[in-house]
Amino acid sequence: MDKLKYVGKPVVRIDGKEKVSGATRFTDDLEYGQNMLYAALVESTEAHALIKSIDTTEAEKYRGVVAVFTGKDFPYKFGLYMKDRYIFAMDRVRFVGEQVAAVVSRDKRIAEKAAKLVKVEYDPLPALFDQMESLKNDAVLIHPDLGEYVHVPWFFPQAKTNIAHWRKTRQGDIEKGFAEADYILEDTYRVPRYAHCPIETHAAVGLCDLSGRLTVWASSQSPHTQRNLFVEALAPLGFTHKDVRVIAPPIGGGFGGKAGVSMEILAAAMATKLRGNPVRVIWSREREFYNTSQRLGVIAKLKIGVKNDGMFTAIDHRLYWDAGASAEYGANVVNAVGLSATGPYRFPNIFIDSVCLYTNLPPCGAYRGFGYSEFMFGLESHINRIATHLKMDPVTLRKKNAIQEGDILAYGVPMNPSGLLKAIDAVEKEIEWSKKVKPIDSNKVIGKGFSLIWKAPAMPPNASSAAFIKFSEDGSLNILVSGMDMGQGFLTVMAQIAAEILTVPVSKIRTENPDTDRNPYEWQTVASHVTWSCGNAVRNAAINARDQIFEIVERACDLPKDELYLKDEKVKCKAKPEFELPLKNFVIDGIQTEDGTFRGGPILGKGIFMPEFTSANSDPETSQGGHPNVHYTVGAAAIILEIDKDTGEMHVKKVVEAIDAGKAINPDLVKGQITGGLLQGLSTVLYEDMRYDEKGKLLNPNFTDYKIPTAKDIPDEIVPIIIEVPQPDGPFGARGVGEHTMIPAAPMVANAIQDALGVRIKTMPITQEKVAMTYLKKKEK
Amino acid sequence: MSILHDFEYYKPADIKSAVELLDKFGNKAKILAGGTDLVVQMKENIVTPDAVIDIKAIDKLNEISLDDETLFIGACVTFTELMESEIIQKYFPLIKDMSATVASMGIRNRATLVGNICSAVPSADSAPILLVYDAEVVIKSKSGERIIPIEQWFAGPKKTVRKDNELVTGVAIHLIKENHAGCYEKLGRYSGEDLAQAGICVLVFEDQIYHVAFCAVGPVPKRAEITEKFLNGKEITPEVIKQAKKLLLEEISPISDIRSSKEYRIHMMDVMFDRGMKKALNKLRGGTHV
Amino acid sequence: MSEIKILLNNEERIVEVQPYETLLEVLREKLGVISPKCGCDRGDCGACNVLLNGRSVRSCLILAVEVDGQEIITVEGISKDGLSKVQESMIDNNSFQCGFCAPGVIISATELLNNNPHPTREDIKEALSGNLCRCTGYLPILEAVENATKE
Repeated sequence: MDKLKYVGKPVVRIDGKEKVSGATRFTDDLEYGQNMLYAALVESTEAHALIKSIDTTEAEKYRGVVAVFTGKDFPYKFGLYMKDRYIFAMDRVRFVGEQVAAVVSRDKRIAEKAAKLVKVEYDPLPALFDQMESLKNDAVLIHPDLGEYVHVPWFFPQAKTNIAHWRKTRQGDIEKGFAEADYILEDTYRVPRYAHCPIETHAAVGLCDLSGRLTVWASSQSPHTQRNLFVEALAPLGFTHKDVRVIAPPIGGGFGGKAGVSMEILAAAMATKLRGNPVRVIWSREREFYNTSQRLGVIAKLKIGVKNDGMFTAIDHRLYWDAGASAEYGANVVNAVGLSATGPYRFPNIFIDSVCLYTNLPPCGAYRGFGYSEFMFGLESHINRIATHLKMDPVTLRKKNAIQEGDILAYGVPMNPSGLLKAIDAVEKEIEWSKKVKPIDSNKVIGKGFSLIWKAPAMPPNASSAAFIKFSEDGSLNILVSGMDMGQGFLTVMAQIAAEILTVPVSKIRTENPDTDRNPYEWQTVASHVTWSCGNAVRNAAINARDQIFEIVERACDLPKDELYLKDEKVKCKAKPEFELPLKNFVIDGIQTEDGTFRGGPILGKGIFMPEFTSANSDPETSQGGHPNVHYTVGAAAIILEIDKDTGEMHVKKVVEAIDAGKAINPDLVKGQITGGLLQGLSTVLYEDMRYDEKGKLLNPNFTDYKIPTAKDIPDEIVPIIIEVPQPDGPFGARGVGEHTMIPAAPMVANAIQDALGVRIKTMPITQEKVAMTYLKKKEK
Repeated sequence: MSILHDFEYYKPADIKSAVELLDKFGNKAKILAGGTDLVVQMKENIVTPDAVIDIKAIDKLNEISLDDETLFIGACVTFTELMESEIIQKYFPLIKDMSATVASMGIRNRATLVGNICSAVPSADSAPILLVYDAEVVIKSKSGERIIPIEQWFAGPKKTVRKDNELVTGVAIHLIKENHAGCYEKLGRYSGEDLAQAGICVLVFEDQIYHVAFCAVGPVPKRAEITEKFLNGKEITPEVIKQAKKLLLEEISPISDIRSSKEYRIHMMDVMFDRGMKKALNKLRGGTHV
Repeated sequence: MSEIKILLNNEERIVEVQPYETLLEVLREKLGVISPKCGCDRGDCGACNVLLNGRSVRSCLILAVEVDGQEIITVEGISKDGLSKVQESMIDNNSFQCGFCAPGVIISATELLNNNPHPTREDIKEALSGNLCRCTGYLPILEAVENATKE
């Protein structure tokens, strides 16, 4: 390959100027005209109850109220992987905060005031707030009709239980594996729920015009998937895909929370009954916490067998997930972990149960890391503890068992090329692993912690991407795709890929935000897969445009196609060095021939990408026989943590994270993911803590008491390291890194605390209070 | 989120007009200075006043002054103004230190010290400092002026002894001539802005007199009178600190809430008292004024 | 309903407001100034920051009637005659990811640099600690502010 000019360079974001000048228009910044209607919600005050009656009379009579909606107006189920939720609660409510009704007015205050006049009578049912309670045989059923729900073929819900899905993965002989072990460590780890906290809350505006065309503007990671789900849900009203358009303006953070469909369906549904008027639904910060989706909580029972030489013999990993009131998206988190809960290690004998349970807490779904942060907390803690028992260095133990290219994964498929060992070595060196750090202050101690990184995109086997590339008269170009730039730099990276192939500088490229009418298909911007998948589509579109260019030049200039190449925005010819034709001369107008006629026309590149080697079909009892994941991205990280023994206060002196990006299309943006993802991960372990009362009500739905870090809470030093072992089917060898960066944070903190204080904390979060009180107890003993 | 209830807005230009409005509306009025508490409470429907009386146009209330060896902090003085005031920096650096722990810049630019003690949440950062300095709350009403020692100001969580028709014009602190030094220790859940989970302020004097006050570990911020009595006249030794801690922990009554547990608050008061005393004594011995 | 007159981004603007309307609502819904964002509506996040008489304040916690006769500057005002040095520096350093917090951060940074042209890293952290950013881990923002103070 020739030396790369745009790929692999720390290009400045193409949307940077827009963002710092205040020009970026997020969903709620757009103008929707004078006809705007505002919707105010009526929410369930009960965690689990039958709805006896809803009295909307007073609200309807309130001056200025345009409409009041309840479940009976939209008796349609929806969901991404399993249709288990309604637009408004129907006969029952399943969590505190669930939408029961909405009041619509031209005045937002009137809507809010009238919403308070809707009277809902409930018949309370027993409520389940702990997944282990949900698992019991005599537990109340949260979804009594679970057996009838429509779902993807790779889910295994169990009718007449609260089990939404049960992924079983088996390999080898688990009993034999433990019998061979010299040491077996068994323990339980708990990870609670977390909130995404994008600074922009969910926002959606729906407009169904008088001809019946529905447009939804939404702060969304998934415009095409949303269109698809809107059409599925609203099909009884006569909507087809061509009748529905989703426009996704720039989005103020997603982290998985704006994937799939949640509140957006309210704007879509209500708009269908209020034709000609845009209906605005904006979530308050409070509602953002309890009625979008949260990260699933998990109780992980983990057992690992090991030989005295450090070689693992068996893993038995049983994970019980709290998915909340709906599992339409969350069950796929459970599925992903069920396939990958070995972590990046070779285990000859594997037993994994990943069980998705309904509870009467808010629904959970995709969250950056998609289950891997959760199980890696226990797994990477466990591995340190095994190393301690074996009196072996924990990094050495990891290296001995680290998975390598060609090793067989839990579901029976070989591991992709990976720089895992390179990443471990790089981190070990940079953090000076074997060197103890002494604190200056006698109240303080310093510990080091290590963790590996591991994650595969979790997607349907045929998730696809598509791209168009169109030129303008001056040779600049627009890339039309439907991936979302939620901050990771997608727009810029796509521009770099097209720039490299078409030799057009990034400064002359715009990548457009999604609009399902205009931009081609993208499944969703989740799973850290768009650089890889949509990147391939853009690459293919650029190659397609280049082919068209060469074909035109061949026809018009009588030069052999195979001899043509692009350089600095010009077509050149190997056989005829003096020939050069600037792109701008013909990419719209074509090339004029000697007789005055023209050849060609506007260049319009088209590219698609869909993996053709994946399959979700496998034996439900073992998960063998399919090929569910495209590849894994791996890495390693380590931390130097200073702890105040008395207060428990923790201060991160240094973090090193190495990640195998395959090829970093934009190293500066990869580093941005490391810096941002690490802090988000550190925050889940150190600060964030959801508090529910005994009735299932979230007590801290605000930043006053759900603490996310500030500029004062960052590590003193972060060293990002990029490893590049190319992904054979990635664009220029790239694979995704967005989610992975936060995965090692929690276990490396737990491991550093063990190193510093000799205490092992097995439940997240590990707040300063927990550290202080745990250490105090240890001292008292 | 909009404020759902309707109200009238008044912006009196002098104290007289302000107290007349207060007299007229009584408990139906709310005084607006920085608004960082009031506006949130109105949005969340916690308070629904008929009248909001904005006192920022009253010149006198925007003053920080030092007259007759008495510091006056007007009701509209923001935490930022305190931090930037030469008078505060020179005579009351502890007030500057405390102000810097309140919220963040964008809030400190608006929030006021007087508003902090009028909201009277148990975690009010301003309270322990005002308590150790024996500050006085200056109040005006139609019937004239009333001075309330800060120790008598807090009547319960979010409650004060202010009557509905009274306007707090500011707080007054008498300058201390004796050499002394102080320290405010605040427990937050992280380095970023946080409400005090527990707070303690100590003031040590050269003649072995000690002032100790706390917040967020009881229904109201308070002076630790028993602890002080024990400490006064004693040289500080590890043994004295140890005994004083025992007394201090009896004087506080923290609760467990979603922010912190009672046990952690107790533990941290122990730690912070120890550290606060040491820091204050170091400053005193270092010869620096406060 | 009362009429207020403000100097908004160096232009005198007159607008009718209700006592219950916040400055943030009036800026966004009546004056077409949309760079201040509503992120939390209770003063915790800083996305709604504007400069009021040169000081960064939370426009979600101020009633519009309070600012009659006063001066307000938003990122629109800072940007209209070309970007400031700190904004340029933020572009160069890929400081923002989603950028929703950016206007609020720029307001805080502008106030800081107006008062203190050579801040330390700690000063910058202090000044920006009231602006929540969920994407970046803050470091690229802090570096950009630092870079803007260097020649």
